[in-house]
Amino acid sequence: MMRKLFLGVLLILSFYSSLFAAVGCSLNDPDRDVKRIFPGSTGYRTTYVTIKELGGEPLKQEIEKKLGDKFDNIYESLDVPYAYYTILKGKDTIGYIHGVNQKGKYGALQIIITTDLEGKITEFYYQRISSTEAKSFQDKNFTNKFIGLRLKDFSEKASQISDPSKASPEDFRVTLRGIKKNLILLDEFLSHEKKGGK
Amino acid sequence: MKINHFLLCFIILLVPHVSAFANEVLFYKEINLIGGYSDRDHWVGKSNDLTNSVGFEDFRKFSNDYGDFLTTDLQARLSYDSMQNSHNAWGIQIHNAWALFKINSSTKFRFGHFDPAFGLEPQLDTHATILQTLAMKDIGFKKDWGFGLEGSLSKFDYKSALQLGSGMGIRRKDDSFLATIRIGTPAPENSQFGVSLLYGRTLETEDMKTIPQDKLLSDNAILKKRIGLDGQYLFGPCLFKGEAAYGENDSKKVFGYLAELDYTIPKYQNWELELQFQSWINKLGESSSADSTLYLGSSYKLNQSTTFRAVYSHDLNMMGQKEEDKFLLQFYFFGA
Repeated sequence: MMRKLFLGVLLILSFYSSLFAAVGCSLNDPDRDVKRIFPGSTGYRTTYVTIKELGGEPLKQEIEKKLGDKFDNIYESLDVPYAYYTILKGKDTIGYIHGVNQKGKYGALQIIITTDLEGKITEFYYQRISSTEAKSFQDKNFTNKFIGLRLKDFSEKASQISDPSKASPEDFRVTLRGIKKNLILLDEFLSHEKKGGK
Repeated sequence: MKINHFLLCFIILLVPHVSAFANEVLFYKEINLIGGYSDRDHWVGKSNDLTNSVGFEDFRKFSNDYGDFLTTDLQARLSYDSMQNSHNAWGIQIHNAWALFKINSSTKFRFGHFDPAFGLEPQLDTHATILQTLAMKDIGFKKDWGFGLEGSLSKFDYKSALQLGSGMGIRRKDDSFLATIRIGTPAPENSQFGVSLLYGRTLETEDMKTIPQDKLLSDNAILKKRIGLDGQYLFGPCLFKGEAAYGENDSKKVFGYLAELDYTIPKYQNWELELQFQSWINKLGESSSADSTLYLGSSYKLNQSTTFRAVYSHDLNMMGQKEEDKFLLQFYFFGA
């Protein structure tokens, strides 16, 4: 009986169409974050997307071109599902939250940004940061410098922001990369949604 | 038995139909292959908590015009326990089988099969790892059937649960139940601490199966009272984890603790080293009642879906039995 079940499960699994691998970076506690960042909100809607689903390899190359860097084969592969959150007031959208994983000097950085409807950053924070100088990077004096930046002027304005750490320039560099990647991906996801995707 | 067969049929029939109403669906396949050598049992095909298995996880979000209102998760495995005879070796383990309703932004209601709100276990995903928390030695199982409330207050997160006290199986005997509550610092922090309370009458089982239902070691439930502390701290490439629990099993005083250090190799961040020591004392004051184990592990992530693990463990004194050295290898796939 159990052997038959075993074969049955294998059969079901092999036919089940699956789009996703392990989730890239979702919020650990979206209710807390949404309430804190958007106090006027009444709810949020979670959407999972992959680059594979939206455009595959050509889209990946387009994103890499905008980013000015290649994606990591393990942590930024095509089938990594990204979660973005549409923030609602009643039925109306008032903003977005999106997180990405970024490889840092000692481990993963989880970089979260929130934007208004025009794509302007309203808040940036690390959900998790593997750095010996985590406190310097998490300091509001540093993270608040990204408020107001948009994708179109990010590279120019971010270049004026200085490294808050004493000896972790690599984590500073990848933070800038992570925020830019976050803005590019969110822009792609929302463009796709406006075109009638999910 | 009949209830469990009914449950399995219900789940198999329900999953494809519910997908029509879900807004977001994540579906993962899972394969776990594990084996190694122990100087006590010789060749082994399992760890203390993991067997060779295939399974899946089906995670769904439901929303309407006003946002998300329901999350569901079903995670099940068909497992093969090589230490059992062929009649008892096969079984279905239902791990997660829960629905989480959002009542408001501070409160959610969960029901089904999920973690008791006690200790480090509800903060971690130990579903596929050889290194485990104290939960199995402390409570006797990692998940239980019931319902609970959880959410976030201004500075703390809370979780509470009222469950059957039976673990994998759906049953109540000898007035079994399990009430737990954990209050902790918010999850999205580099450091995290929590305090938990537990009170209940729990059943002890021989193994971990939902179908066929795992066998009870005794028809009598054990009265358990606990207070627990847990914490995690991330600093650079090092993640420190720890927990301790103190209380009573019937009239016997019990105490356990765990300390773990995970180190991500900066140059090869898909490679992690793990060192853990855990000890559980079943009767304080009796030296032979301690069960202490030292683990040294390594995991290598080949890609997003595939992980290899190797763990050496030294069991110092398995409640009076002789010491044991064990080496385990694991192949784990979780993905599309």
